[in-house]
Amino acid sequence: MSPSFGRGAMTNSWSDLKNAEVFLIAGSNCAENHPIAMKWINRAKENGAKIIVVDPRFTRTASKADIFAQIRPGTDIAYLGAIINYIIEQKLYDQKYVLNYTNALLKVSTDYKLEDGLFSGYDAKTRKYGTASWGYQLGPDKKPLKAESIEDPDSVFSKLKAHYSRYTFDTAEKISGIPAAKIKEIADVFCKGKPASILYALGMTQHTTGVQGIRAYAIIQLLLGNIGKAGGGINALRGEPNVQGSTDMANLVSNLPGYLPHPINTDKTLRDYLVRNGSFFEKHIVAQLKAWFGENATKDNDYGFSLLPKTNPAVNATMVKLFEMMNKEQFKLLFNVGSNSLVSIPDRQLVRSALTKLDMLVVSDLFEIETAQFWREPGVNPADIKTEVIMFPAAFVYEKAGSMSNSSRWIQWKDAALEPLGESLPDLDMLDHLFKKIRKLYAGSTDVKDAPILKARWDYGEHTSALKVLQELSGYDETTGKLLPTIGDYLKAPIGTASTGCWIYAGVTGNGNLAARRNNADPSGLGLFKDWSFAWPGNVRILYNRASCDEAGQPVDAKRKLIWWDEAAKVWAGNDGGDLVDKTKGPDTPEGKLSFRMNPEGVGRLFAATYMSGLPAEAPADGLPAIGIRPAGICVDGPLPEFYEPTESPTTNILHPEVSISPCALVVSTQIGKSDKFPHVLTTYGVVEHFCAGGITRNIPWLNEIMPEPFAEISKNLAAKIKVVEGDMVEVSSARGKITVRALVTDRLQSYKVNGKDTETIGMPWSWGFASLSPGPSTNEITIAALDPGAGTPEYKVCLVDIRRAN
Amino acid sequence: MDVSRRGFFKLSGLSIAALAAGLGFDPAVAEAKGYALKLEGTKKIPSICHFCSGGCGMLLYVKEGKLIHLEGDPDHPTNEGTLCPKAASLLSVANSPDRVTKPRRRAPGADKWEDISWEEALDIVAKKTKEVRDASWKVADQIVNAKTGLTESLTVNRVEGIAFLGSAEVDNEESYLIKKFCQLIGTPYNEHQARI
Repeated sequence: MSPSFGRGAMTNSWSDLKNAEVFLIAGSNCAENHPIAMKWINRAKENGAKIIVVDPRFTRTASKADIFAQIRPGTDIAYLGAIINYIIEQKLYDQKYVLNYTNALLKVSTDYKLEDGLFSGYDAKTRKYGTASWGYQLGPDKKPLKAESIEDPDSVFSKLKAHYSRYTFDTAEKISGIPAAKIKEIADVFCKGKPASILYALGMTQHTTGVQGIRAYAIIQLLLGNIGKAGGGINALRGEPNVQGSTDMANLVSNLPGYLPHPINTDKTLRDYLVRNGSFFEKHIVAQLKAWFGENATKDNDYGFSLLPKTNPAVNATMVKLFEMMNKEQFKLLFNVGSNSLVSIPDRQLVRSALTKLDMLVVSDLFEIETAQFWREPGVNPADIKTEVIMFPAAFVYEKAGSMSNSSRWIQWKDAALEPLGESLPDLDMLDHLFKKIRKLYAGSTDVKDAPILKARWDYGEHTSALKVLQELSGYDETTGKLLPTIGDYLKAPIGTASTGCWIYAGVTGNGNLAARRNNADPSGLGLFKDWSFAWPGNVRILYNRASCDEAGQPVDAKRKLIWWDEAAKVWAGNDGGDLVDKTKGPDTPEGKLSFRMNPEGVGRLFAATYMSGLPAEAPADGLPAIGIRPAGICVDGPLPEFYEPTESPTTNILHPEVSISPCALVVSTQIGKSDKFPHVLTTYGVVEHFCAGGITRNIPWLNEIMPEPFAEISKNLAAKIKVVEGDMVEVSSARGKITVRALVTDRLQSYKVNGKDTETIGMPWSWGFASLSPGPSTNEITIAALDPGAGTPEYKVCLVDIRRAN
Repeated sequence: MDVSRRGFFKLSGLSIAALAAGLGFDPAVAEAKGYALKLEGTKKIPSICHFCSGGCGMLLYVKEGKLIHLEGDPDHPTNEGTLCPKAASLLSVANSPDRVTKPRRRAPGADKWEDISWEEALDIVAKKTKEVRDASWKVADQIVNAKTGLTESLTVNRVEGIAFLGSAEVDNEESYLIKKFCQLIGTPYNEHQARI
């Protein structure tokens, strides 16, 4: 979403779902995995909203649908491309929105092209793209040239039109298995409802083309004018209680908190970093360096920029690749907090092997999860495993104070309700104690490498205080030592005078702990609840809400008014906080026009062009490289979504057989299966009773009683073919391994045709492992580790398998 | 005798209240009292569910440090008092006999855990962190400059031997301290399940 809109977050909120007129739920079984979503979807349905569900299975969510389509896993871009084509051909797009709030008119470089499934700039040796040709035609002022009309052959809109002209309903049917008439019906119903909401979760992201699938959603929603509006948006249903927060805090190799790019080895100075990333980040990285190094971060020492480690951008250390590095003995020490990779990583043999290469594994968790006891998995001889394991007992969510950020970006505070059980402690305390011990070990060192530890600001009290940490995130005026009241105060403060550990959280505790607010009044009736907790950024509840207004700054939807320009008071007013640069800048000013202010073009991006805003027309006189303002987020595998087959596919890509699978996919698994031996498509999913890798839920007796073991869900046709009835044990095998589970024979999966060939999808939940009160085989024994090249997300949703009776 | 009394009242069609009067107490009151007894003297403390990203509000009923009851927070605008089966089951985590409650160590090659103290566990991990950090410190990357063809030494000040996984399962403050901890000791190799 970030290459399209500028931020990688769900655009709307749970309670906003009630405002929608139509839903496309595709890549999410929210009835089971995000039950709270259904409360609000059902409320919209009671008001007449239509629900469209696209899924490989007839799920519990599908049972509420007005239209259901069964899709072959991994082919979403084919049918979405056909919908984009239809919207353009039938002129169903929102003309004003497209012209004013997207980059439709900007002219694309004449070097850009797509040929036989490859975009311009492909290097077959590295399997990567050079992205120079994906830029705009720039004027002498280094700004993109704007076409007179969308018909201009160089315009983004024309490129989009040409690109998707190949995606007819018939082609989409052959690829996806959804009948052409059904795709047309989906397009008609979805385009008619305004506002229209798209919901997705891991069903959409867990593909080698995951990012591009979401890009296809973004294109549809920008064309239809559904972003920035109540009841619209693209609602990424995040998978874990604090996955929004942990992404904000950048437990990711490529970022620092607040989505700042991580420094790389060519960033010798802060200036180099800004040349690469734009001046937009100067204030934020300096504020973070002030939060981390306090008075040891000064203008004279480049604000301590040299104290940060620099990565090598040639090394991809995203989660699955990190296990690959571990398996090659790079790491001697692994900290593992709140995750169970031995169950959750695809082709999990890699994890089993990699953990044996460590000197020490440090685990912090509630229960003795599989990863903590990998050395005694059945079939493993503990004596052979030399890894020392330390396990810290963690306190549970209600045994500690702190905040979590839900999918709606609400930062919600809770106090500790109970003492931690036994000797368990919050991870906060563990980290605090550990850092202090390490700092003691380095006391007195003058070695350059130890400076970051010794010069750090690290004071969260004798009894580690979560509130003190949240205050560090919220930010201080470093000249007075006082908390900055709001994000506005932070943004106004001169560079170097303010600190914040994560700038998008600025102001959360500035006027008391706003994350702890419990006023559930909703005067607008739109489900905004703006006095309940605090939403980043700046308590905006619906992102990009400037796009809910026309050019004059007035709401286009009279029933769902979010913000508006108050001409008398000369200020943006509204039911929601405005997603604006400056609320005193009117709709006719350059600032007041920006609908997508986090993008360098200030508009939504139909075409994910490479671009840096703010570069000067003339090179700087001092001979140093120029610093622009803000670079665009790009997709490493292309500026427009193109359909590629999954890495293991039962067929060949009919659009370009020579480039069948993603040319950039990162394939980590060494064993790849073919459809002659493994003819069926396996897709994995979750069930309402268990959560992710099951570390908690498999230790809860109630849940185990309802859902005791994993299974393979198969169609009646397939059951008849392999001669099994429900409850029989079946062996499911892939090129990587095999597991034996019970068969669930169901109508929820139907046989279908792909490129004319009969095909079967098998569904399996994946939450089991060898430990806990309710052990069971791990489905990730057989899944494939093939990753999206940009996000690093594995293709859990598609691999090839065979199935047979086991007894 | 009890049985026959009950049978008599039932047959005679007398009201429950009359029955109660006969017994010397009012069952309606007793019933309400029975429910109140469970929650009597408890403190209601709001918290947040720990499963999907809904962020639903829970109300915890706590008495003498023990979690007695858990239900949806009726004031919470997202879930309005409702909870899914997973959230409702979180009562059991607080008192689960299967929780790990003491730090543990598994020695290299051992086939079982031994309990250790927090102090001991932290010392072991701190020392190991220093040892691996010092041994795997990388001052510079040697990179061939694409334009000049010359090898450049680029200062990186990075730890190569330590990785940190975590976490979308912890609070913001913890997640932030994980990142800060990693950056201060010098490892950029911090990832977590948001990626997968």
